Amino acid sequence: MMKRLSLFTRCLILFVVIWLFLRFFIGGVWSVPLPASVIAMYIGLILIAIIVHVSVEDDRFREFLRPVKETLADDEKKIRRMVLGVLIPLALLGFTFSKVSTKADPPAALRTAHPAPPDELTYRDKVIGPTQEVENPFRHLEKDDVEAFKAHAENGRRVYYQNCFYCHGDDLDGEGHFAHGLNPLPANFQDPGIIPNFQESFFFWRISKGGPGLPPAATPWDSAMPVWEDYLTEEEIWDVIIFLSEYTGYKPRTFGEAAH
Amino acid sequence: MTRTLYHKSGVNYMSSPLRQWNQSESNLLMNRLFVKKSLTICIAGLLLLPAIIAYPVFAQGKSAPAASEAGKALYIDKCAHCHGVEGAGDGSAAENLLPRPRDFTSGLYKIRSTESGNLPTDQDLFEVISKGMPGSSMPAWEGLLSEDERWSLVAHIKTYFEDFEGASPRVIDLSGKVPYSEESVAKGKEFYAKLGCVECHGALGRGDGTSAPDLTDHWEFLTWPANMEHSWNYRGGSATEDIFKRFIGGISGSPMPAFVSSFRVGLTDAEAERITELEAKDEMTEEEETEYAELEEKAIYYEDIMLDIEEGKEVTADDLIKFDEAMKPIFEKSWHLANYVKSLGSEGRPPAAVGDKVLRSQYRLGDLPGLNDAAWGEIEEASYFPLVGQVVIEPRQFNPSIDSVTAKSFYNDSEVAFLFQWDDRTKTLPQEDDETGVTVEDAITVQFPVKVPKSPTDPKPYFIWGDGRRPVYLWHWKIAEADKISEMNAKGIDNASVQESQSQIQVGGVYEDGRYRLWVKRALKTEDKNDLQFEPGTFIPIAFSVWDGANGDVKSKRAISTWYTFVLDPVPSNKRFVYPPLVALISVGFLYGLRGGVKRRVNTNST
Repeated sequence: MMKRLSLFTRCLILFVVIWLFLRFFIGGVWSVPLPASVIAMYIGLILIAIIVHVSVEDDRFREFLRPVKETLADDEKKIRRMVLGVLIPLALLGFTFSKVSTKADPPAALRTAHPAPPDELTYRDKVIGPTQEVENPFRHLEKDDVEAFKAHAENGRRVYYQNCFYCHGDDLDGEGHFAHGLNPLPANFQDPGIIPNFQESFFFWRISKGGPGLPPAATPWDSAMPVWEDYLTEEEIWDVIIFLSEYTGYKPRTFGEAAH
Repeated sequence: MTRTLYHKSGVNYMSSPLRQWNQSESNLLMNRLFVKKSLTICIAGLLLLPAIIAYPVFAQGKSAPAASEAGKALYIDKCAHCHGVEGAGDGSAAENLLPRPRDFTSGLYKIRSTESGNLPTDQDLFEVISKGMPGSSMPAWEGLLSEDERWSLVAHIKTYFEDFEGASPRVIDLSGKVPYSEESVAKGKEFYAKLGCVECHGALGRGDGTSAPDLTDHWEFLTWPANMEHSWNYRGGSATEDIFKRFIGGISGSPMPAFVSSFRVGLTDAEAERITELEAKDEMTEEEETEYAELEEKAIYYEDIMLDIEEGKEVTADDLIKFDEAMKPIFEKSWHLANYVKSLGSEGRPPAAVGDKVLRSQYRLGDLPGLNDAAWGEIEEASYFPLVGQVVIEPRQFNPSIDSVTAKSFYNDSEVAFLFQWDDRTKTLPQEDDETGVTVEDAITVQFPVKVPKSPTDPKPYFIWGDGRRPVYLWHWKIAEADKISEMNAKGIDNASVQESQSQIQVGGVYEDGRYRLWVKRALKTEDKNDLQFEPGTFIPIAFSVWDGANGDVKSKRAISTWYTFVLDPVPSNKRFVYPPLVALISVGFLYGLRGGVKRRVNTNST
């Protein structure tokens, strides 16, 4: 008959299993790897929980510490003591060595992907109006004149494939043939988190002013997005915004709706 | 004699538009490639081109459904902006694209599993739509459209060329595949040199052959021979079978001929060599005349079979078997060549120099290696910086010909040395551009900020040559002055100036076999406040601009990279030999103390 595992061993197993689960299952099989700090936080909580659990009653605490004491003092456990007495210092030696000799990591990219637009929407030097209020001047055609609306969408399609698809991709998925050489990556308009979360005036601002028009938090020096007001007319920019939503089927956020 | 043969074939070729193309286009190329060496081989080759068409192998894979309105609508939504509403490859986006979108009305398809001069199979078209064409703007649609949708596109595309109707293209027989081996690669290498591949693809396969700058496709658009080291750009895939199919079938519409055009079917290598040798003679002795006549008879025998097959005449089973036999060595050679070409390429595009691939300058005691020192080999993997066209500021480059720059670096207590490499198919000394009349030449700029940002959130200069507030520090090198680097500062692409006081920078630059190698060495510190000061342990932004004169690159029209970073890797600290043993020692002490404590308590308890 198998001896029941000691409380200490059970706690140790629980601890290791949870760590493996966080490190390799959640962060790997199920999702992207978790940051070390997040894992450390969870593991810390688990450790506290275990300590609380074992120390709630005196008997249980004694039972918990029993194997430790035995290993340290019991003459029958001499072999186990010797093995651990070598292994623990060795593990610490290796761990410290790896910590001391790792190379410095390159600085992480800290960047606000979708910064707040300026208060005033402009095209070249012309003021269009307050960014929070300006609407796509052709959006109303969607109800009022379907044919005219289609024509704007078609013109937007032309603009897109003549100017944008190199980076943003044939399918508007941010996988254009230049995308592999860019950092930050081009926006993926098929991502449901992009178009529905912003107003059309936001897109007008991002397109017309490009990378250089971004605030410092959005690292304007890294963005390869051209300043499209240098190349496109106001109408072309509004048209391409219509095309983005028509092609993907996502509607830009309208006024009055709260940002998510 | 050869002239009559040529004439004979000429008549024959005129029978279909496809063949007509094969003649005119391949002929042009053939002339360029082989005429000097052996006019006759080339003409005979042309003759034989249609021959393999007659191979009795039938199309495999699925067939497209009937063309439908739904397919057409899908085409208009997903394809027409490049390939044109009428399928002529003239959509609104086409103008800035090279390679151009396919013109479906021509019936010329690059990526086929079928023999030279044949149309592709339905499966071929489906594969290209599904997988896309790497190195071009054709994306892979398999994740974006359902299988049925893709098949409906195949059906629709076929409606643009009427010969698809009732066509049963002959599929290339892959059964004789020669497995990859050192031996096969060596044989392939031999054919590579012998058959004139070098003329376009260059001695080492980097697409830098002497003919490379002048190649145009069927529509007279500029086209570049493949760089076989960048095999991830192969439009039809980089598997050995894919490469083999390109040899046997050729790449329709491009200057890439079918492999068989370089051979005389039916003659052994020795016989082919001999007949060429005899043809080159001004006068032949009587014996030679007889020998020549015999060889010629043999060659014509096979040529006649081919012509008969092509014209749909009855061919005796005996002749057919002989002909099949005669084709076998040509297929075998193709497999060797395919294995060789496969050996030149890599698994895929290397990962960009970020994260654990970031450029790390390695510390070295004593002198730093020079341009040709073997010491550079100690750094196994060069850091890879992908380049794209500069499309932000006019004039823009939508079709960059330079794909990437790689870099290695060493430093010591006083200096830092870099080895930059990039593949360029042409060495372009300053010359007038045919189209624009401006002077173009090959050049590179390595870009650093003047002031290194202290933290990741600190502003950097704009990635294209800085901006008004944050200047960049540039090393500008051009092929015309290969032993010199100009130190420059720029506050924007139109606001660059050469520094008045140039630091001592040692430079070595060479162009060999389609690759530039540029070696640069500078002191870590300079007196000039407009120079970058190299500080070990600091991550320093770095970016590149590369100009290929032959591609019309000039001024802002160039290939560029975004910002990357590199670091002079700090000399590993000696602390790593002190702390770990100390920690181990303390832990031993701690454990020992713990044991003592526990033992004492146990003893106290028991007494």
